[in-house]
Order: sequence, then C-alpha cells, then structure tokens
Amino acid sequence: MDYFSEGLTRAVELLLSLDPETFSAVWATAVVTVLALAASLAIGLPLGFALGHFRFPGRRAARLFTDWMLSLPTVVIGLIVYAFFSARGPLGEWGLLFTVSGMAVGLTVLGLPIIISMTATAVESTDVRLTQTVLSLGADRLQLLFATLCEARFAMALAAASAFGRIVSEVGIAMMVGGNIKWHTRTITTAIALETGKGEFATGIALGIVLMLVALVVNLLVALLRRRAGA
Amino acid sequence: MSAPLYSLRNITAEYEGQPVLDLPKLDIARGEIVGLAGHNGSGKSTLLKLLGFLLSPKAGGIVFDGETVDHAALRAGHLLRRKAVLLGQDTCLLKRSVAANVAYGLKLRGLPAERERIAWALGLVGLGYAEYAGRPWRRLSGGEARRVALAARLVLSPLALLLDEPTTGLDRASTGHVKRAILSAREAHGATLVIVSHDMGWLSSCADRVLTMEEGRLMG
Repeated sequence: MDYFSEGLTRAVELLLSLDPETFSAVWATAVVTVLALAASLAIGLPLGFALGHFRFPGRRAARLFTDWMLSLPTVVIGLIVYAFFSARGPLGEWGLLFTVSGMAVGLTVLGLPIIISMTATAVESTDVRLTQTVLSLGADRLQLLFATLCEARFAMALAAASAFGRIVSEVGIAMMVGGNIKWHTRTITTAIALETGKGEFATGIALGIVLMLVALVVNLLVALLRRRAGA
Repeated sequence: MSAPLYSLRNITAEYEGQPVLDLPKLDIARGEIVGLAGHNGSGKSTLLKLLGFLLSPKAGGIVFDGETVDHAALRAGHLLRRKAVLLGQDTCLLKRSVAANVAYGLKLRGLPAERERIAWALGLVGLGYAEYAGRPWRRLSGGEARRVALAARLVLSPLALLLDEPTTGLDRASTGHVKRAILSAREAHGATLVIVSHDMGWLSSCADRVLTMEEGRLMG
C-alpha cells in the first residue's frame, strides 16, 4: 500500500512541477491524437454519409468491411502499418516509420472505421422520415444533404468523441509504428508501459492520471451529447 | 371562371409494379377545400403525394397553376413543392426548437423568418409564441408536434396545402384549432386545400366537397 501511496504522491509532484519528460509524452499524445482525429473526420464523415445515404451496388459489402475493420486488434493494424512503412515496405521511402506523422497515419486507420460506421448509422436512422419532410417543405437536393447532416450532428459528434477515446488510449500502434522514442514519439500509453516495466511506478501513475482525466472529460462530453441528442 | 389550380387527366401510378392510382379526370379549383375519404389502401395518400410532387405519375398529364408539369418540371421538383406543400402522415419535426422548425421552410426559400410571421402561424394552430417558440422538439407531445408541423406549412402561405390525416392523435380542442387554421389559410391567401381524413364528420365540416376513393379510383 505504501508503494502505491508513495507512487501517487510522487506522481502529483511530477505533474505539479511540470516535469519535462512527463509533459513531453503528454504533448506527443496530444499532437498524434489531434492529427489522427482530424484525418479520420475529414475522410470518414463524407464516406460515412455516402454509405448511409446512397444506395449503390456493393454497399452492403462496404458496410461489412467497415464493421470488420472496427473489430481489428490494434496490434494487427500496427503490424500492417509497420510493414508498409518499414525500409523494405512499399511506402518505406516516405520515411514515416518511428515518426509522429507515421503514428498519426496508424491511428487514423484505427479511428476511420469508427467515424464511417457511426456516421452511416446516424444518417440511416435520420433518413426514413426526414427526407420526405424536408422535400415536402421545398428543399432542393443540396438543401436535403445539409439538412440530413445537420440532423445527424449530435450522433456525428458522438462518433468523433468515441474515435477520440479510442485513439488517445491506444498503445499497440503507437508502440510499433512510433517506436516509443523518448522526447519524440513516446506517448502517454507507451510511456506508462515502459516506465512501469522499469519500476518507475510514479511516472506511470502521473501519466495514468492525465489519461484518466482525459477519459473523464471525453465521457462527460459523450454523456452531454447523448442527452442533447435525446438518445 | 378562372382555370383550376390542378388539372389531372388520365393519370395512372404504380407502386412496386402494382397499379395504385387510376384517375381519368380531376380538377381542383383555386381556393377550394377538397376532402378525400376512403378505406386504408384506397390510394388517398398516393394521390396526395402526386399532388405534392413527391411522386411522378406513370402516365397522364398534370397542369398545375397554369403550367404543364412535364419531366423537366419534375426534375426541378422543389420549385413545384414550394407552391404545393404536403403534411404527410409520417412527417417529423427537425431536432430544433419550435420556432426554428416553423422558420425552416422560409429559410429554404431565402425568405426572412420574422417573429411576427412565426407567431401568426403558431397562433393559427392554437400555440402561443411566448410559451412554445423556444421549446425543443423533444419536449412536445404528439399532438403539439403535429400542430407545429402544420404551422410550419401554414407559415409558407403555399398555393396548395395537402394534409394527410391532420387530426390524427389530436383531442377535440386541437381538432377545432386545425379546422380554424385551415379556414384561415384559405381566407388569408386563398390557399387550395386537399385533406385526407377518416373522420368523415370533421372532413365534411371543413371541405367544400368530399371525394371518396376506392382501389385507386375516385368514386364521386
């Protein structure tokens, strides 16, 4: 118990003293998370909208593929991205392995199916009565698209919050593609794994506290969005 | 005598390959209130969707507001739907406040959503602006939501207002409000109304004439 309480005390000291090594991991986490989430939203929202709104050949297969991607273990995603970015891989010359940008690409692969799938579901569930309602009020096709997106806004924000939670807490992809390099690609999760393994329990707890606070904020946001969406 | 607002000739319509409508002739005058009665599946709602340009006929011709409704006109269907507005059975409200719902159609047309106009439309259906304008859609009862949906159409002052079961789920007082709103719409801007209802007593009290449908045909 002393071991735990001493670790906790030391963790608070590290956070209050703005320990550079601790905050380097926090900063790296913030950067890759923002990059990966932005890319996931930029690619995933239009794809999710198209998947939920339009009827086209192969739509069911595309939906099945997206749902399958949701259940892929993160280490497998890390392995595939690593294979692409390694020196002998097809994208090896891009030099993305063990970089923040490379990690962001790997985490985008993780976040993308969440955004696509949840956006498609949100658009599908609003389409049934909304289309006729909006058309009957005199909307043209473009106004119908905007109305559908606007009606699904809470659900899409929920998708973004879910993807954020998954990306920020991920360890497998960050470890394999980022390489856990101190001051560079070491994130909160990879640092916790490393420091705890080295017996540096306090640093692990300090970083864990930051991660738990982030998770708390995300969950509060999700609860608020659910309430506003009337879900 | 002015030309009818709607003039339908030899109209047929199909749903999944099955004929659902067969109308040799139907004229609806400007400012007229026409009631449509008939059993479930007799084609009333289909006819209403056709009049609201949400459904294209398989054959036949429609002249609306003096213009022939051809394929080119149907491709720009929103311009027709801005003149003939439908309140369907499965119409829903947008996830916005009552005032934003009522203002939505005006914004689609690029018209100003003035407070007085919103208040006027809400007043027609018996809802006070002060009490209801800011209320979110999810805090309305089924009957209130139905009346807000009607107000969102009345505020547009359309040439034709097509109402599918507008009194379903409403109590007696609310039904009275809907009737007064319908009559006011005609008095205020000469709107033509086509109303589908199973409540024959209420329909007869509102309409200038009531047509009965059976198996996609008008019986009289």
